[in-house]
Amino acid sequence: MPRKSKSTKTSESLQRPASEVLYADELKRLAEADGDAPRPEGWQLTPQSVVTFILGDKRLDISAKVVIGRSQLERCIVALATNRGLMLIGEPGTAKSYMSELIAAAISGDSTLTIQGSAGTTEDAIKYSWNYALLLAEGPSEKSLVPAPLYRGMAAGKIVRFEEITRCPLEIQDTLLSILSDRVLSIPELPDANRSLYAKRGFNVIATANTRDRGVNEMSAALKRRFNFETMHPIADLKQEMALVSQETERLLDQANIPLSLPPDLTEVLVTTFRDLRRGETVEGQTLEPLSTVMSTAEAVSVAYSAALHAHYYGGTEPTAEHVVHGLIGSALKESKEDMQKLRHYFNHVVKSKRGAKWKQYYNAHKQVL
Amino acid sequence: MNALPSLNPGILDLDAPVVFFPVRHHSPAAARLVRSLALQFQPKAILIEGPADFNTKIHELALPHQLPIAIYSYVTLPNGNRRGAFYPYCVYSPEWQALQVAQELDIPAQFIDLPWADLVQLELAETDSDRHATSHRYADDRPLRQSQYIQLLGQQLGIEGLDNIWDHLFEIDPDLSLETYLERCHQFCFSCRALGTVEESDLHREAYMTQHIHHTLEQMGGPILVVTGGFHSHPLYEAIEESQKADESKAKGRRQKAEGPIHHSPFTIHHSKLGTQNSELPNSLTPELPNSPIPELPHSPPPSLTPYSYERLDGLTGYNAGMTSPGFYHHVWHHQPTVSIQNPKSKIQNPKSQPFSLSQTVLADVVQLLRDRDQPINTADLIAVESMANGLAALRGHAQVWRQDLLDGIVGALIKESVEQSNPFLSAVYDVLRGDGRGQLAPGTSLPPLVQDIQNQLTRYGIVPDGSMKQIRLELRQDLDQSRVLHQLRVLGIAGFHYQGGTDFSQRDDLVQPWESWELHWSPMVEGSCIEAAIYGSTLTEAAEARLLEQAQDVEREAEAAALLLLDASLMGLSRVGQPLRERLLTLIRADGNFLGVTKALGHLLYLYRYDDVLGAAENGVTDQLLGDAYHRGLWLLDTLGKPSGNEALLVTGVRSLLETAERCGAELGLDRQELMDVFQRVSQDRHQLPLLRGATIGGLWTLDSVPLDYLEHTLNAMASPQHIGDFLTGLFALAREVVQRYPDLLRQVDQVIQTFDDPTFLAALPALRLAFTYFTPREKHTLAQTLTQTWTPEGSSISPLSPLSVNPEIVAQVMAFEAQLQKTLNRYGLRGSP
Repeated sequence: MPRKSKSTKTSESLQRPASEVLYADELKRLAEADGDAPRPEGWQLTPQSVVTFILGDKRLDISAKVVIGRSQLERCIVALATNRGLMLIGEPGTAKSYMSELIAAAISGDSTLTIQGSAGTTEDAIKYSWNYALLLAEGPSEKSLVPAPLYRGMAAGKIVRFEEITRCPLEIQDTLLSILSDRVLSIPELPDANRSLYAKRGFNVIATANTRDRGVNEMSAALKRRFNFETMHPIADLKQEMALVSQETERLLDQANIPLSLPPDLTEVLVTTFRDLRRGETVEGQTLEPLSTVMSTAEAVSVAYSAALHAHYYGGTEPTAEHVVHGLIGSALKESKEDMQKLRHYFNHVVKSKRGAKWKQYYNAHKQVL
Repeated sequence: MNALPSLNPGILDLDAPVVFFPVRHHSPAAARLVRSLALQFQPKAILIEGPADFNTKIHELALPHQLPIAIYSYVTLPNGNRRGAFYPYCVYSPEWQALQVAQELDIPAQFIDLPWADLVQLELAETDSDRHATSHRYADDRPLRQSQYIQLLGQQLGIEGLDNIWDHLFEIDPDLSLETYLERCHQFCFSCRALGTVEESDLHREAYMTQHIHHTLEQMGGPILVVTGGFHSHPLYEAIEESQKADESKAKGRRQKAEGPIHHSPFTIHHSKLGTQNSELPNSLTPELPNSPIPELPHSPPPSLTPYSYERLDGLTGYNAGMTSPGFYHHVWHHQPTVSIQNPKSKIQNPKSQPFSLSQTVLADVVQLLRDRDQPINTADLIAVESMANGLAALRGHAQVWRQDLLDGIVGALIKESVEQSNPFLSAVYDVLRGDGRGQLAPGTSLPPLVQDIQNQLTRYGIVPDGSMKQIRLELRQDLDQSRVLHQLRVLGIAGFHYQGGTDFSQRDDLVQPWESWELHWSPMVEGSCIEAAIYGSTLTEAAEARLLEQAQDVEREAEAAALLLLDASLMGLSRVGQPLRERLLTLIRADGNFLGVTKALGHLLYLYRYDDVLGAAENGVTDQLLGDAYHRGLWLLDTLGKPSGNEALLVTGVRSLLETAERCGAELGLDRQELMDVFQRVSQDRHQLPLLRGATIGGLWTLDSVPLDYLEHTLNAMASPQHIGDFLTGLFALAREVVQRYPDLLRQVDQVIQTFDDPTFLAALPALRLAFTYFTPREKHTLAQTLTQTWTPEGSSISPLSPLSVNPEIVAQVMAFEAQLQKTLNRYGLRGSP
């Protein structure tokens, strides 16, 4: 769930400290509680404690960090203890990256070995590159080699994160093949003795992929085989999602020094709209056409935040239904005309028949805006 | 939790005269341990939670049935509704094993729970809502599931849900000892009860069971083994304890024989209210116990056995929430060591359990099924699944790889795409976990209730088939009941009853005199198929509905199929369409993304809605609901139709179905007229839309009287090109045929547009224009022509306007005779004109 702002001194001046820094205290306590209980080699915590770190435990004063089913989380953790990598897939905004960060922080105490996948990602950025001055002066040696995250993770026996792996060209993705199966990285430039870097125990890869813009279908079957796939779903429970949205919105508003918050009934209206349009089915069981735009919890937070900003700067009032509709149109209607139709249909067929003053206001607001 | 009462440790005393064995229904661990307890300590009798009125037939359970089977009991309520209950048994049911072991030890076994008839009355008294028409008695996890204790315990153990908690505590460890089980289970159920709710009917049942136990104790002395749901064990123990003490003190005073059942239980039992006329206990056929017949309740025939299936048992597909994954627990049962009567302490390895582990056996089945379904699984995948499952079992502290571990292992290691609701891998896994076991009654069992019901119905309506081929013709206005029974038999697939023909409701035939013709023929297949069909239910109606539901589950996203299934339901006279079928049909409609399909369904539904007086209306508004949904779905699909190609004529029919629905039953169903007009408005204004659709929607608007004439004329001018005008008018006339004739101005407008065409343009526009005007009857065309000639003829001109159309009756008669002849010829060759 929410990131608890339990900032230590080092993290205070940073915009967003890494999880292992932010939760250093929790990780330390969990490690102490684990003692020398058996665990996969190279892991900082036992698998049980990794689960506890992410799901939270009131008795140990560990905060809950992500809303995820226990058995799914257990699958993720166990996958990393086997000889396969873990692939988190799902719609944007389903906390894939955050999950991978937390898992890496808990298992390796280091979530910074991250490769950001993009169309321009090269092998250099994944494996290693050279300090060319040294290379020219001394020839290839471990000294002149500049390790990239994968190299460092293998050498140190840590979890390496590969974000948005499907955005990389296929041949770049496939550089992981031999590394994941043989657990060895060959560096042909180096002399024989150093030519192969064998991964230390504890090394594994967590990749994330977005099912929206470029799915995993293109990924080679060979690479797929070397990963266990886990689909991250939007939060299933309305109350949990509402709590998360209002908490995160408040955090953002706090940071911006705006003394406002989204009233609870408006939050409910907003979150319900997002859920209905995301699932293509209303709470009442009516079917809709889901929007083609991503309707994730993160988007809902940004709508709530922008509604509050709007109200604060251009009205000086509490946020109203109208502000929410404005925010919604800004975020939901990215490009397609069809989404506009769908949204209008939603207002005319669903919002109109909902009870409650806020829903009425919401409906009336849409007539002026849409 | 300090303030809570605590478990009385006396319940764990295995030397007491009455030993209570707590079970969760369908728990293999409980089944295994109840066997070993009974064999070890050789009670004089075993009393089991089950309908006491089945005791007269309890010997039938000893026949060599193929499991799963169920006891079925039903009650006819004063309002004519029927409420049935199943008490299903599979090989790993503790109740079943208790019965088996009693037989092996040659001791009496008896059911001690309230008969279903009494329970129904209690439930009716408690709530007036009628619950499920059929209930599954041993699926009664409700008090456990809803207990707060489960939540607390789940948080404590880091396990989600009752099923996983139960597995964790009781099932997974194959070496769980009897003593640990008893202690743990008593404590578990006791806590669930303490932190949960107890319904009044439970108290009555317990009072009844107490009486029964007490009675048996008096008759036979101890030790007695009592096998009930763990939820009831502790209250029963306390009640018996109390009555024992009272007995002792009474015996001290004056030694005298006890007379009749004693009401020492904390709960009073009101027999008059319960409807059990006799306070004597129901009896069993076992020789050791006295045997006195109980008078039957007026509306409750004795319960009987019926075949059952794992599919029905599975909570995922069955009516009530029950245990999940019977197929898995079936494997569990066959994998565990069983204890035999010769040597109760030693365990004999079941030969089936070697050389593979439980999870490997299940996994092998899954893989086999997946390969059968052309889903490739290779050895490396299997290794990955196993190592995942083993890792998960270790992480969760399981002594062996269990259901959820295996499931998670398969999900994690095999599924390489985002997991949405349905996935071929997952459904194969669930199929294997569910199991495909189907029960069969042993010869010598009294016939299953369905067969009796079918025989009764056939006799009642005089349609018993005999050896000769027999044809019957039914006039639906009189013989509706027969027709319904026959349609139920047809849907159920009973041999010997063939529908030959009749009024076709799906084609919307003439309903003046609806009729049907059937062919009846007896063969040995008839009875065989009746017995086979017993798996679907215990009455003809119930079974036919279950079969219909199965058919509904086989189609996907097809609104028209849903409408036709509803038609079948109507033909079968299902006055109350059950919740699962209703939901399935709704889903079919809601998931159909094809405008034509949905509006076709809308047409059928509208027809059913309007003319259901022939078939008899479905009571609980299911047609209304489906119609409303199909209407909304259709509107939405029209709104987002894009530019369709092909099937243009059907598009117009679709728009017309929407309009007709709104006009004919908009008010009754509370359909929003404005919504329809808004959608029509948008489609008619969409410049990229087909002229045909624009015409149709504007025609619709016009019929709804919500469009001014000048707007229409404006659109007409926009459509004035030769490629468009014909299609536009086709659409317009199709929807607003009648209104068009009332506005001669429109016709003149069309005329003006066409006048501007030069010859080649006119020829290009002609075919579509001709089509447009075919919507009018000859007389209407004549009127239109009259209007036009008036326009063309300048005032005061000598040219006379078109003379009125007059037709000689003789000619009409001739034409009709010719058409009848034509129709006859068509029929003779089996040709059918398109409507």
